[in-house]
Amino acid sequence: MSDTGGESAHRTLADFTLPSEPGNEREAMEIVAGAVRDLDLPPARLEKLKTAVSEATINAMEHGNKYRPEAPAAIKVVASTKELSVLITDRGGGPIPAPGAEAPDLEARLEGRESPRGWGLFLIRNMVDEMNVTTSEDRHTIELVLRLKGDDDATETV
Amino acid sequence: MPRKQFEANVRYRPGGVAMIDLNGEIDGFAKETLAAAYGEAEKGKPEAILLDFEGVDYINSTGIALIVGLLARARASKRRLLACGLSEHYAEIFEITRLSDFVGVFPDEESALARVANS
Repeated sequence: MSDTGGESAHRTLADFTLPSEPGNEREAMEIVAGAVRDLDLPPARLEKLKTAVSEATINAMEHGNKYRPEAPAAIKVVASTKELSVLITDRGGGPIPAPGAEAPDLEARLEGRESPRGWGLFLIRNMVDEMNVTTSEDRHTIELVLRLKGDDDATETV
Repeated sequence: MPRKQFEANVRYRPGGVAMIDLNGEIDGFAKETLAAAYGEAEKGKPEAILLDFEGVDYINSTGIALIVGLLARARASKRRLLACGLSEHYAEIFEITRLSDFVGVFPDEESALARVANS
């Protein structure tokens, strides 16, 4: 990625870490919302981004970092003229569920055949245009992508 | 970042409806308060329980799971669960998760109570 000029140049809007503690996803969400303020996202689009960031941060802190405070979640916000990316990285080495996971079976959850939890990845997938997962030996990164041009939502009026 | 303490207050409305006013953030920290409020609402054996989300500004996936748990309790006791006051964003999440297939979603308290009265 380049931080210099041109149509496809990427600008880093935020780059920070947070301790892996329950509730800190809310802070991640608000910091990202502040970082993208100048992009003037339509309000509905911004709310979706905030939910996706919150859920991806919960996944990183809970499943990746097992809520170990010494293993922070790292969050980077990058924008070009065409798209916005939020990269959320944990320090976990275990498997991460596939981005294409099926919709949760609500009936099974209501009947007690499945845990009522596990909505995070499903919500993320429905909130952003792309969700990409990169795994290495000791970390996972979830990339949340919103396209800023060329789709209906991106042209939604405020 | 300071947390807003989650609160839930139960009010008994005409027509056999118990209403739970929710205020704050519905996440894992809300579990005990939400369960206690629901238990209080059940005591009057209402026909329906109405959750008012007007004062809620954040629901995460754990909060969705808590609402699924309340819905399971309501179905087990053959009681209707209704919701009102959801923001457009969270109303959409109720649709995406299919919660709105099982929970009657209304814009406000009046329309929810009117539906119960007319059914």
